[in-house]
Amino acid sequence: MNTSLSDSTSNSLFLRGPALGVKLTLLVSLSILLMMGENRGNPQLQTARQWLSWALTPITWAAASPAEVVGGVDHLRSRESLLNDNRELRERLLKQDARLLRLESLEAENIRIRELLASSSSLEDRVLIAEILATSQDPYRHQIVLNKGGRDGVYRGQALVDADGIMGQIVQVNPGSSVALLITDPDHGIPVEINRTGLQTIALGRGDGHGLSLPYLPGNADVKVGDLLVTSGLGGRFPAGYPVGTVHELKHAGGESFMEAIAYPKAKLSQGRQALLVWSERALPSSGTDDEPIAVPIDLPVKPESRSPATPAAAPAPVPAAASTPTSAPAATTTTTPPVPPVPPSAAATPPAAPPAGKTAAPPALAPKPGTP
Amino acid sequence: MITSLGYLASLVLALLLQIVELPEWLAIARPAWPLLVIGYWALYAPNAPVIASAWLLGICCDVLLNTPLGQHALGLVVVAFLIRRLSGIYTLFPLWQAALALIPVWTLYVFLMFWIDGLARHAADSTLRWMPIVSTTLVWPLCAGMLDSFRASRARSRNRMRLP
Repeated sequence: MNTSLSDSTSNSLFLRGPALGVKLTLLVSLSILLMMGENRGNPQLQTARQWLSWALTPITWAAASPAEVVGGVDHLRSRESLLNDNRELRERLLKQDARLLRLESLEAENIRIRELLASSSSLEDRVLIAEILATSQDPYRHQIVLNKGGRDGVYRGQALVDADGIMGQIVQVNPGSSVALLITDPDHGIPVEINRTGLQTIALGRGDGHGLSLPYLPGNADVKVGDLLVTSGLGGRFPAGYPVGTVHELKHAGGESFMEAIAYPKAKLSQGRQALLVWSERALPSSGTDDEPIAVPIDLPVKPESRSPATPAAAPAPVPAAASTPTSAPAATTTTTPPVPPVPPSAAATPPAAPPAGKTAAPPALAPKPGTP
Repeated sequence: MITSLGYLASLVLALLLQIVELPEWLAIARPAWPLLVIGYWALYAPNAPVIASAWLLGICCDVLLNTPLGQHALGLVVVAFLIRRLSGIYTLFPLWQAALALIPVWTLYVFLMFWIDGLARHAADSTLRWMPIVSTTLVWPLCAGMLDSFRASRARSRNRMRLP
């Protein structure tokens, strides 16, 4: 009982002084060593941190539970609001389906055009859905914890997106979870281009929780409020073409040669429970352009040259090629069931020149046009 | 035994309160709970292994908040040492005066965090950084009072067991 905490101080008063100081110097220097070691990127400290964060998972869960209870109230909603939601979602789905139809044909066209340019990059990225376990409770660090980690193939530097745009990138990978840095963090910078003009620049996080800053714009740059920023793909870390934010404000101090733009991110950084991890093919190989094992599987769907836009997985070359290209339709009707029953005169005018599957075949995007009359 | 369990529980609770999700406007003014609990034990429980537990708690904070390993640990150890050293003075004050007298210590802690962030090139809003000092000072009487009553009830139950 005498060893309990609330005992009197009388006898230990004189012994404590030097011991305290020794402890202090020891622990302070240990802390400083740890910080320096981590600053240099010591791999052992990295694993130690991973183990500690694994050991502290119960606390993370417990701390997240109040928010889950609050979220649980969400289940108790009126039938009416659910019906409303349902209708709204249905309408959105319809609209997006329609857009998707167009997108597929555009994508096919894009692939073909890229092929003409002999470029190997494609639009298809592998993705994985991750749940957001926790958000950083330090208001000066914009980080989130995800429930996918090294076991799922997550890697450091991986891009994180949501339905509206880029959210951030992975900065730490634990076995079963990972930590992502959001684009609004003051430590974060992302190469972007202005969609309207193609101007390339860098967007830095402002650290106020909801803003991006573009500090390196030349004073005469063509930037307007409302311009969309998309990832430029430079640096290879973020896949190109994802929306990042919209320009909200322009600041041009007189006499300065640079102007600054303030943008708001597109992604809903502080809402939602899910995020998408993207494997961008250019991030996987550290450098180099001709990386065969990566390039081949991604290029595969591209190889059948004039494939139908509606069936991307169609592998055997001759049949789909015949079915899709209207110029080859007269030849195809003899061998297969007629895919385009009426052979229009416009298509019949060109047949002698066009072989069944050639690079010069009419673009698939035009396929519906001769077929419709 | 029971008291040291309570000691550990208070540390874990402080850790929990530090990372529990709050709305953004409230999170800026979140009191530094580990600081409060460590400060309390350093002040009123002279035999508790406060310095070592301050360091361990700080390391846990660093892992959970994903700050450089050692940042919070350093700050908490320094604060624990200072309060332990000055506990002779602080215990003379009544509760609310102690709350005022502790403001320089909280300021030192926040400054240390700020400074290390600066060294690690982590820029942050420099005016709102000082908000935790205010909230920590305001919460101190509450926190100290609750821990006091916890310890008093422990002591009472111990005496009751001893009496018969």
